[in-house]
Amino acid sequence: MNTLASFYREREQAILGGGFILLLILAWQSVPSLISLPKGISLFFTTPVEVVKALYQLVVRNEIQSHVYVSAVEFVVGLGLAILVGLPLGLVTGRSKILDAMLDPFVTAFNATPRLVFLPLLILWLGIGIWSKIMIVFVGAVFPLLINTYEGVKNVDRVLVSVVRSFGASEWQTMKVVVLPNSVPYVIVGLRLAIGRALLGVVVGEFFGASKGLGFMIATAATNYKVDVVFVGVAIFMGISLILTMSVKRFESKLTRWRPEVAKTF
Amino acid sequence: MAYKEKLSEYRRPLVGAVSVVGLMFLWEFAFTYFIPLDPFFFTKPSLIAVAFKEQTLSGALWVDLAISSKAFLWGFSLAVIVGIPIGVFMGWRRRAEYVLDPFLTALYASPLVALAPLFIIFFGVGLTGKVALIFLLAVFPFVFNVFAGVKCTDRLLVNVVQSFGGKEKDIYFKVILPSILPYIVAGARIAIGRGIVGILVSEFYGASEGIGYAISRFGDTYRLPEMFAAIFLLMIVAVIFTEGLRKLEIILAPWKIGQEAR
Repeated sequence: MNTLASFYREREQAILGGGFILLLILAWQSVPSLISLPKGISLFFTTPVEVVKALYQLVVRNEIQSHVYVSAVEFVVGLGLAILVGLPLGLVTGRSKILDAMLDPFVTAFNATPRLVFLPLLILWLGIGIWSKIMIVFVGAVFPLLINTYEGVKNVDRVLVSVVRSFGASEWQTMKVVVLPNSVPYVIVGLRLAIGRALLGVVVGEFFGASKGLGFMIATAATNYKVDVVFVGVAIFMGISLILTMSVKRFESKLTRWRPEVAKTF
Repeated sequence: MAYKEKLSEYRRPLVGAVSVVGLMFLWEFAFTYFIPLDPFFFTKPSLIAVAFKEQTLSGALWVDLAISSKAFLWGFSLAVIVGIPIGVFMGWRRRAEYVLDPFLTALYASPLVALAPLFIIFFGVGLTGKVALIFLLAVFPFVFNVFAGVKCTDRLLVNVVQSFGGKEKDIYFKVILPSILPYIVAGARIAIGRGIVGILVSEFYGASEGIGYAISRFGDTYRLPEMFAAIFLLMIVAVIFTEGLRKLEIILAPWKIGQEAR
């Protein structure tokens, strides 16, 4: 008995947190057997078991693989482009006062507005194929990367820069020795935010004018009242998002243990 | 001398303004003299300006903006009313944090916007579906910012209130509320962006009015100047609110500058 109590005490946080999620899933599952839902609601209702069954069916019938593949390509290519553009641009704007001043109004305006506003424009320009989605992922993800890299470069220790400068370091050497290592934690934060924006781009981009992808699967399933399939898509997006952001987060907290706690943002 | 000082103080915004204006001119001139303009594919600033003037003077864009704002205000207010108490509760009670944190973090980190089609077929294309989606996206920044704010509350202040015979209520209203205020503002700034995502997705998807609908309708009918005008208007509104809240944040909590990811 005593060991059970101490077992609980040691793992209280995990037990309470996991237990609550399990409880919610169980409650969700048992809703239809506890109360009879009116027709208008039962049409939109599904249970976790139904969702798992639907997932199994989709995998067995080889229906979901191509959707996942298209979404993954859009996500990876779009995010990759955002990293390729956002990091160097953030480094350069952080080091050059004039470029910083020139780009600032654009960065502020585009960062304040969700880049999803450009979705109709991108579809008009690039069609409903994969490229309009890659671009919406790119414009969504590039700003958090750019801004956080910029912040990292800006917050570099002035004294350290002066020291390497005094010892005759060139701009490139200063970058390599002081600026880059210092901005890594910021870049990681930017990457975590960018992952969220990129997934948002994939989901919403595929809702409109797409013919493949998980977002498309969700949208068509919803119009056909296949709620279990909708939840399969939502669950996959949730899973991917959690795995990616949590692994980046773990890496991040290792690097930024010394920084004061701030609120979570995704 | 004084002139020079003034100039260096305003150099940054000045350079910014010059670069914006310069880009506009470049865009305009390139499509007037060098590149033939395909009006179904691209547009230029002078045409956008005309469309912006027409659309705002006729009131058409304002009507769309007002319709979206109504949904936004409902969803956002609900997010404040629900999010702040949950955040306080989680921050103040350790077991509440243990129970709620993993579940809410999972929801916050997920692209919940994936539920939009379900919301729209369930609630219809009217106000309710939009409000529900905006609420769902905007509530988490409030929860987690308030949560962080409560955790950073000065224990000493709480002890003082208790020592002088203050009740639970006094702790909440005299200590916790004032100290979480900057965090609420920070949460609001993040929630605004997410709320606008909610508006756009629900109005792109299935709506017959609103600013998101205006943008997608102008796109569908190849009216590019009007489309850019609508995008521009939404941008102005978004910048005013987020930058305004950022200024407010700096006034309320000057020590927080530069710590936070955007």
